[in-house]
Amino acid sequence: MIWLIVFFLLPFVVVFKISFADIARARPPYTPLFSWEEGRLLIALSFENYAYLWDDTLYIKAYWSSVKIAFWSTVFALMIGYPMAYVIARASDTKRNLLLMLVILPFWTSFLLRVYAWIGFLKTEGVINAVLLKIGIISDPIIMLQTDFAVYVGIVYTYLPFMILPLYANLTKLDDTLLEAAHDLGASKLMSFLTVTLPLSIPGIIAGCMLVFIPAIGEFVIPALLGGPDTLMIGKVLWTEFFNNRDWPVASAVATAMLILLVLPIMWMRRAAEEEVR
Amino acid sequence: MANPDPTTEKPWLKTDEKPFIRIRNLTKKFGDVVAVNDISLDIYENELFSLLGGSGCGKSTLLRMLAGFEIPTSGSIEIDGQDMSSVAAHARPTNMMFQSYALFPHMNVAKNVGYGLRRDGVSRGEIDTRVTEMLSLVQLDGYGARKPSQLSGGQRQRVALARALIKRPKLLLLDEPLGALDKKLREETQFELINIQETLGVTFIVVTHDQEEAMTLSSRIGVMDIGTIAQVGEPQEVYEFPQTRYVADFIGSVNMFEGRVIKDSPNAVVIHSEDAGIDLHVPHGVSCMPNQKMWFAIRPEKFEITATKPKATKNVIKGVVEDIAYLGGQSVYLVRLPGGKLVRMVRANRDRGAEKPITWEQQVYLTWAPSAGVVLSS
Repeated sequence: MIWLIVFFLLPFVVVFKISFADIARARPPYTPLFSWEEGRLLIALSFENYAYLWDDTLYIKAYWSSVKIAFWSTVFALMIGYPMAYVIARASDTKRNLLLMLVILPFWTSFLLRVYAWIGFLKTEGVINAVLLKIGIISDPIIMLQTDFAVYVGIVYTYLPFMILPLYANLTKLDDTLLEAAHDLGASKLMSFLTVTLPLSIPGIIAGCMLVFIPAIGEFVIPALLGGPDTLMIGKVLWTEFFNNRDWPVASAVATAMLILLVLPIMWMRRAAEEEVR
Repeated sequence: MANPDPTTEKPWLKTDEKPFIRIRNLTKKFGDVVAVNDISLDIYENELFSLLGGSGCGKSTLLRMLAGFEIPTSGSIEIDGQDMSSVAAHARPTNMMFQSYALFPHMNVAKNVGYGLRRDGVSRGEIDTRVTEMLSLVQLDGYGARKPSQLSGGQRQRVALARALIKRPKLLLLDEPLGALDKKLREETQFELINIQETLGVTFIVVTHDQEEAMTLSSRIGVMDIGTIAQVGEPQEVYEFPQTRYVADFIGSVNMFEGRVIKDSPNAVVIHSEDAGIDLHVPHGVSCMPNQKMWFAIRPEKFEITATKPKATKNVIKGVVEDIAYLGGQSVYLVRLPGGKLVRMVRANRDRGAEKPITWEQQVYLTWAPSAGVVLSS
């Protein structure tokens, strides 16, 4: 609880406050909200930043594009992660530990290094193109780096373990006799998966999707390194506002709006889903 | 239920009756472990057959092979004249009630019960009618919308039973159906289970480790011991005429006297027993060799206990009461024989406050009717 207050709530309050200020050539580069003038408290709230977000289509486009990229990355991660989690959960004890180890192994190297490694794979004179050229499948190298494709690859790759682990935790709890019961009552393998395993793994699917979707929306490093100039993501816009334009109030407004527009509905959805499961 | 011809109710007594389930030389190995060892067994239509045995005797494995969850290493299973070796679990005319009930937690009671019919593509209207019918059979009318987590243990057991019966299987397999219920509920449910079985006319095979349950429920009992069937018979037969020491010991409690045959005539046998300290007279012929090692088994309730020396001269053992356990309806006496053996006897407490009750450390005499015991050779 204290953890959440110190590292989540307090920073957010600061950001929230800045989002109502005006840009100023000062240090810090924004006007104060509260000031004492002639013994009276003066509150200067500026809603201009939020209006600006609405007026300038860049932000709405960036939000929309972020949601789209995060959504499809989540779908791909789910499609790849579910079978992996399923196989791991059903494997024998010794094999399962090895497979889990392999899923966690990438965390031993820095995230940044791994993204740079992907540059080495994806660039025009990179590993993938070299192999494809050598085999003779393609005659000209494919341009993969600095495209949306590279961003998808990067996000799915990075967040796949976050999809697999909650799904694994869920699937490993599944009682085998439920499947036997389904089988006994006339369900084929596929039918018992669809009517028993899948519905019972919904909490795991929701948890995994949240863990991929939420950080993917605000992702900055992957689109910055792997994406092209037209890859529009809100994290990148945020970075540009803060560090290139030094417009802290607008950047704060972007952050606040993102939180309200994306995270709150997700939290609400999650609670609804949990109640459904119960 | 009165029927003049006993063979219609006891098809196993008829020589020409075709068995409904025919198990032949069935063996199942898990690696080096033989779980089921060369079992052959016939079970007839409408029987309520119990497989009784301790844990690890292979009874559950046998049941799972009937359901199709385990593939036999060798041997065959035939249900209603049809060989099952190439039929997968979901296509067999059997249904199973699991020990853990295995109710689907994400479905309500009606969905659970109707699951089997939905898989068979039965129309929605018919599913609804049959689910309602089945729920009223197991006395759960109106519980359709509840989730399994909102039910008591006894109610869950009924849902599991309804779900397993709704497809009208030819054979219902029940794995410890009453194991998870408390004693009182278990007794009530036993009779209900028999009623349902008689109403529907489905053949039941019940796996249980509880001999009382097997006795109450079954038309016949198959007592299992390390992968084999030690004896098959009606409850009374298995109790009163056990064929081996294992069966005698597993069903109920028994006093076992080891001895050697000293006199063998066509209609009487005398066994000299060091355990009992006397010669045991058995009033019927036993196929045995002179001097062969034999066991005389006698149930605790077959003894008479007296404080004074009885008139009979044969089959009288003297001993000292070492312990008495008063159980209300009956009392258990543990009597120490001069040879050191402890004998257990049970007496119904017919009188309230007997004049001269038998008490601790008292010298007593144990006698029994000539045919009260069984002679066993293995």
